[in-house]
Amino acid sequence: MTRRTKALAGFAVAAIVINLVPALAEALDTPGFYITFMFTAFFWISQAVSWNILTGYSGYFSFGQGAWFGVGVYTTGVLAAKEGWPFLVALPIAGALAAAFGLGLGLVVFRLRKLSGEIFALTTLAVAFVLASVARLYSFIDGGRGIFMTGTPLPEFLGDFRTAMFRMTFVVAFLTVLAAYLLYESRVGWGLFAIRDDEQVAHGLGVPTFRYKMVALGTNAFFSGLMGGVWALQIGFVTVDDVFNIRVPLFVILMSVLGGMKHWMGPVVGAVIIYTLTDRLNSAGLEDVNQIIIGGLLIFLVLAVREGIYLRMRMRWILTLTVFGTAMAVWTFADLATSLIWDFAYASLITLLAVLLPTRQSVARVLRRGGPATPVEASAAERAST
Amino acid sequence: MSDVLNQAIVSGLLIGGLYAVMSVGISLTWGALRIINLAHFSFILLGAYATYQISTSLEIDPLFALLVVIPAGFLAGAIMQIFFELTKVDEFQSLIISFGSVIILQSIIRTIWTADFRRIDRDINPYESMSFFVGDVAIQVPLLLAFGAAVGIALGTSLLLSRSYFGKAVRAIVDDPQIARAYGIDNRRVAVVLSGLATAFSATAGVFIATFQSLSPSISLGWFGIVFPVVILGGLGNAVGALGAGVIVGVAAGVASVQWGPLSASLVTFLILIAALLFRPQGLFTRQGSS
Repeated sequence: MTRRTKALAGFAVAAIVINLVPALAEALDTPGFYITFMFTAFFWISQAVSWNILTGYSGYFSFGQGAWFGVGVYTTGVLAAKEGWPFLVALPIAGALAAAFGLGLGLVVFRLRKLSGEIFALTTLAVAFVLASVARLYSFIDGGRGIFMTGTPLPEFLGDFRTAMFRMTFVVAFLTVLAAYLLYESRVGWGLFAIRDDEQVAHGLGVPTFRYKMVALGTNAFFSGLMGGVWALQIGFVTVDDVFNIRVPLFVILMSVLGGMKHWMGPVVGAVIIYTLTDRLNSAGLEDVNQIIIGGLLIFLVLAVREGIYLRMRMRWILTLTVFGTAMAVWTFADLATSLIWDFAYASLITLLAVLLPTRQSVARVLRRGGPATPVEASAAERAST
Repeated sequence: MSDVLNQAIVSGLLIGGLYAVMSVGISLTWGALRIINLAHFSFILLGAYATYQISTSLEIDPLFALLVVIPAGFLAGAIMQIFFELTKVDEFQSLIISFGSVIILQSIIRTIWTADFRRIDRDINPYESMSFFVGDVAIQVPLLLAFGAAVGIALGTSLLLSRSYFGKAVRAIVDDPQIARAYGIDNRRVAVVLSGLATAFSATAGVFIATFQSLSPSISLGWFGIVFPVVILGGLGNAVGALGAGVIVGVAAGVASVQWGPLSASLVTFLILIAALLFRPQGLFTRQGSS
């Protein structure tokens, strides 16, 4: 399949999903929380994948995800809820404004002569705090009073609230993953990987480093802000403390580290697994323990699985599919858990453990056997062999 | 108006000392060990809560908590560095690991002391509202104490680094760890001691914070916007620079909050940070040529 047929097939599948799934849910009378579960997963997929476009591809570690997300939330908050603009008009502005903030930051920091990765990381963290205090300071944004989103009217063709959320989050997540995939395969993507491996050499070989980094940062901020704009509706009551905190950056880092930052698919896998597990822990009433588990997991993953689990899953795909399929079947048919989401959570956990089992195969060998290596896989192979 | 302005400048100057104590630990480990230890923010908070707990339970002057907090901080920093040495992490891994530690420590603090505001009782804490006047300007005693500690730490650290054998070893490691090791410097031991020292400084900052402020688990997030500019402006690993930068940031933030309201302070500190990164990325107080 050429890239174009793949993309067209993707669009066709997407069109079917946004129409069929809500209809199916209605016909089968599935509980509403299944839809909520799915669109929250889409939210995290979009956030993690967009973060990875900057950090995974270019190697510039960003804590700024909360800032772009927050700009998106407050844009639709102010325009749609306070000023009464149509929601679908405010939404693209949310993405554009977040991208503008991202590019503005990039214009300053990427011009620094001695920009190191750490300085970039901490500057992005500072941006989130500054935006938070700006939002608190000006009453036309927030002024410390918060914004009610609950009355915001949505166009009728989107369906009821849940269905509308499902459709909008799906479309944004789909576009994010598509952008990540296209960038990954494109010349820009190759340039970004070269920057990640060695920026000076890349620059010397003629990669337009500044422009490519701006593309990565802009894409990241755009999709994060766009999804933030949609997510304002789900938050309901938007406050500065809820929006500009370290939750979003923490989770996208965790998800991408788990899934693997060197492949466009990695954060998708990571987001689904982490979101499912934390959602189940929260619903089991373990919220306090949850944070400690998440922090510990992050430390463990950084030390134990440097390449992320997605490449391992691909390397051991028979094992992965067998374990997941068996576990899912056992839990579903033996009725071990109360809902399909629990079944899925247990099956993912078991698969995760199976994939993490130590193996003597290296990611490199398997990837080499499967045809020509992409630059990412080649660099992973090189690291694994040394 | 000018009275208010004078007051803002003096208070900013004094609180700049506190900012310096909060920043010097991060600056040292970042400059010398190439590790950005975000966990220092949690250690500052932990130091503050420990002071609150010791002072409240034993009903003693909060400054006595220094006797416990400093060794405990040293131990915590040393253990963390031993962990880093054993796992042989690179810079980004250490950043993520320390970020994970922040999440864990915040969560532990929230579990033990809850999200409510905690404040040392006035009967035990004589410093909270203690102040005296020089002309029309009030000098707050807890800030003055913190400023004194900052001067002590800055001078002590810079003497230690420039005069002692330990300091020589640290500077050798900063220049070239491999050559330093070839000349018989045990760089792991030096790193562990330095990290312990840095964390002890951070925990000390917590003691002073507890003497005049209400504590809640979320206050540590706000510190980041101040500490990061101070560290950059002062120059990595430069303790005296951190003191100077702390005073600059403190005065700028103080004057800004008088002129344009308290929330503008974080904007001003951010602009200082950007300006510092653009024009003096090596720090204001670093001599040209020395890195």
